[in-house]
Amino acid sequence: MMISRLLHIFQNTPLGRETLLQAAYFTKKLRASLTIYIPRHIKFLMYFDNDVVQVDLDHSYLVSPDTAHDHAVEIAREAGVEPSFIEPKHFTASALPDIPTDFDYMICPRSISNLSSKLGLGYIGPKVQSIINTANFPVLIASHVYKPWKNIVVFFGGSANAFNALKLGFLIQNITNFPLTLFTYAETSFEAYQKEIADQGVEDELGLRVEDWQFFESGNLTDYLYNVPHDALVILGAFNHGLIRDIMFGNKLEKIQTSITNNLLIVGSRYSAVG
Amino acid sequence: MKLTIDEVAQCLDVPLSTVERWIRQGRIPVGKSGGECIFQKPILEVWAKKHNISFTLSDKKVKKHSQDKPVNLFNAMAFGGVYYGIEGDSVSEVLESALKNIAFLDQDEKETLWVKLLEREEMASTGIGRGIAIPHPRIPLDESMEEPVIITCFLKNPLDYRAVDGFPVFVLFILLSPSIKTHLHLLSRLAFCVRDASFVEFLKRVPDQEKLLEKVENLEYAS
Amino acid sequence: MKPWIYPAQWALFKMDDRLLMMFIGAIVGTCSGFAAVVLNHSLLFLLEWLSQWRQHWWAFILPAIGAALSSLFLEKVVKEGAGHGVPEVIYSVSRYGGLLRLRSTFSRLVSSCLTIGSGGSAGPEAPVVMSGSAIGSNIARFFSLNDRQRVTLVGCGAAGAISSIFNAPIAGIVFTVEVILGEWTALNIIPIAIAAVAGTEISRALQGNQIVFSHKVFAIDMGDIIASIGVAVFTAAAAILLTHGLRSMHKISGKVRAPMWIRAAIGGSMVGIIGLSLPVVLGEGYHSVHTMIEGNFSSGLAFVAIACLAKIIATSLTLGWGGSGGIFAPCLVIGSLVGLAYHRALSMLWPSADWVNEGCFALLGMAGLISGMLQAPLTGIFLIVEITGGYAVILPLIMVSAISATLCHYIEPSSFYLKELVDRGHLLRPGTDARVLSDLSIKELLETDCVCVSQNMSLRDFVKIVENSRRNYYPVENDETGEFVGMLHLDDIRPYLFNRMLYDAVLVGQIMNPHVATVLPDEDLSKILRKMDSQRLFSMPVVVNNRFVGMISKATLLDKYRKELMVQTSF
Repeated sequence: MMISRLLHIFQNTPLGRETLLQAAYFTKKLRASLTIYIPRHIKFLMYFDNDVVQVDLDHSYLVSPDTAHDHAVEIAREAGVEPSFIEPKHFTASALPDIPTDFDYMICPRSISNLSSKLGLGYIGPKVQSIINTANFPVLIASHVYKPWKNIVVFFGGSANAFNALKLGFLIQNITNFPLTLFTYAETSFEAYQKEIADQGVEDELGLRVEDWQFFESGNLTDYLYNVPHDALVILGAFNHGLIRDIMFGNKLEKIQTSITNNLLIVGSRYSAVG
Repeated sequence: MKLTIDEVAQCLDVPLSTVERWIRQGRIPVGKSGGECIFQKPILEVWAKKHNISFTLSDKKVKKHSQDKPVNLFNAMAFGGVYYGIEGDSVSEVLESALKNIAFLDQDEKETLWVKLLEREEMASTGIGRGIAIPHPRIPLDESMEEPVIITCFLKNPLDYRAVDGFPVFVLFILLSPSIKTHLHLLSRLAFCVRDASFVEFLKRVPDQEKLLEKVENLEYAS
Repeated sequence: MKPWIYPAQWALFKMDDRLLMMFIGAIVGTCSGFAAVVLNHSLLFLLEWLSQWRQHWWAFILPAIGAALSSLFLEKVVKEGAGHGVPEVIYSVSRYGGLLRLRSTFSRLVSSCLTIGSGGSAGPEAPVVMSGSAIGSNIARFFSLNDRQRVTLVGCGAAGAISSIFNAPIAGIVFTVEVILGEWTALNIIPIAIAAVAGTEISRALQGNQIVFSHKVFAIDMGDIIASIGVAVFTAAAAILLTHGLRSMHKISGKVRAPMWIRAAIGGSMVGIIGLSLPVVLGEGYHSVHTMIEGNFSSGLAFVAIACLAKIIATSLTLGWGGSGGIFAPCLVIGSLVGLAYHRALSMLWPSADWVNEGCFALLGMAGLISGMLQAPLTGIFLIVEITGGYAVILPLIMVSAISATLCHYIEPSSFYLKELVDRGHLLRPGTDARVLSDLSIKELLETDCVCVSQNMSLRDFVKIVENSRRNYYPVENDETGEFVGMLHLDDIRPYLFNRMLYDAVLVGQIMNPHVATVLPDEDLSKILRKMDSQRLFSMPVVVNNRFVGMISKATLLDKYRKELMVQTSF
């Protein structure tokens, strides 16, 4: 079986170091391998199955290119991970490399471009969002400061994406053996959720892997989010409600990640659960 | 008839990732419902024919498994049975009276088998030395047999079998198997046991069926 | 998900995806035709608006401003690289099933409009092709179509664009098939044809059915056909000159340490300076082509020859220094200038001979240059026939196109559009070896039924493993770390195999081959094959992070390669 791989875009700054530490921790816990891309150009393309995403980095990604490689190796080794590096082999235009997309995870800071101006919470950059929406791998949105996690929390809302998130949660629980908690901010009754789980045939695994299921039938979202342990990896499905609903009701994803500082592993709609 | 992507990959004998790529590139006719890919067998067959690709809905896989199932000496011997006091003064007589004892063959089969065994003996003796012979047909019996059998026959009087080492033969292991592969496999197993001098001594004492099988089982697991 | 946005699920199209392709092809053709008309009109508007300042001495600054703005727009606003876009389309068709960015649908329109409208010497065709292709690609993405369908729609976009801008449907089809897709199949030709018709129809509906360069009837005799060979030679020379000019300008500008937009401005102002004395070089130059074909171009031989060179230089300056636009229109201008110069020279040498009107030679020159530049003779022939409405010149036209394309191919094996792609190994035409190899990935060829053995295993244990396995190669791993340390082939144990004394004395680690060439799972197959050939290997281990993941062998490769080839060809 192939080892799963995590893609990391290296940023040679203190902030980038935190993200790389997070990436190293994640790969170590998941026994995955860490693949690092050190940008040499301000932008790159990712060709997915049915879409192409252009990522425009901000200039902080290109600072001191001479030390970038050494820094990356140093940080990763310190964390006990041997990184591998990718050099883009294909170029769409001379200053526009194509980065391969056959990874199992990708780690991003909350925003890839314009990072320095939008350090605050409450913002997931448009590029990160479009990667989430088109990628067939889940995206790990790292907390600003390196934060090891010892718990797994799955936000389970009942949509197809939520089941993918749940299955990913099972997978990660299986590899790491950390306790897994389910959080549900109910839209329907508890019985309806249980029925859906039975329909999907994940009942047994649920019993086996889930430590606790916190089910909130009332109260507001912020209270509910307070119960998420601070040292948990939060797995959730991306909510793609369409543009109009986003404008009118706000993006739930945005709301969640304004409230909690945890590492978020976001499962997009194109992610197909591991077999 | 509808096929899943795994079945299609198996039918075309390509890895799953190739089929996935073909779907993405639009090289293979596929219908989609929800997130699932559904293939129609007749359409696929036409497509495969047009591209000159072999497309076989394989039950072969299942069959192959049963063949691959390891045959062991103990089962074959237990199935064949052990017979004592076989009489006869020549190879052909001994074989004839040995075959008489076999319950699971009818008269016609016994005769053809007898002819085949003799044919093999005429080519070269199956006496492998130390008083042991392994009569078997040169070409495996036809497919009617499913499991290989070894019929163990202790002779009443040791017989000159023109064995390689010239010793008279006192025991026959008649080896019948459905395929050459199982035949060779059993042969090598048997040869392994016989190489053990203590086992030959044990055989010379003409043990009863239970003890013999027990000994064989132990030998097999030890190896 | 609302079902209506998936026409692939409509009952009508479920029957046959060819109907679906024809339907969407018409939409794509219409959209890209519309894009072409929009660009054409905004160019005309910009040219007219700026013409009031053209007479001033400082007018040379106009192309500089235009080029700088267009470069700024591409770099800072839409963040796309410079260039005219056609290679990018071919690249994407080759490698990524025609995936193009949404922003490409308009970016080149705006930037080329700024460059050309302000007087830069470039053509609007390539940007329109890029837009049309991007429109096709994004419509395909919206409808979640597969790669093959998307590539066809990219072709539809290109065909619609060329058809619309030249009012030339056949040229659109031929250009798409010959240059963009490189493939002609029963499946893709019909949607492309429909898109070409739709694009042409849009252009006719919005700006009238006019032949771009109409002219008088030419009476061509045998002498003219023979003389046309000369046109072919000169146009081929001009095409080579232009190719080299563009490339060397690109290199020179690359050495200037300045932001992109300043470079573009430098190039633009140089063009402007040339334009002060030779206004014929400015803009896309359709007007001057028109006068030449009608035979009303009054200047003498020397002037025409100089203008021809100046246009080549101006085009190189505009495009090489970062302006945005294509080479189609400059090719037409240069071609007609070459033809004209040739005609003038002929009449000077043999004044008594009865040569056909000089417009005819201008026309032949255009065909020669297009064919030579793109190395696409059919595109040259059909384009010129259609935009001039002159079927009468077809015979010399074929001669010139064929000879010019051959000559250029002889000197420059790959055309202007493809040169860079070929150099980087990115030109993957359908049904070729490179295409099949790039489609197959190591993941698909990996043989994972190998038995890994430990470094410290004794030969006795190893022989037992050999007995029960069917492979000849055994990867050897380190006991503790699980790292790959070497390979053991059956041949390696042969010397020890029949000496049972050694069975316990020899360890696997001692007889294995520790220096084996390994392969990474994302390496290119062509590279791996070259490695295998040079080292005479039949199989190689695939190793990731010092861990063995499988074997890759020529036998499996051949099996899969053949299957892939059969699936990709024969429709």
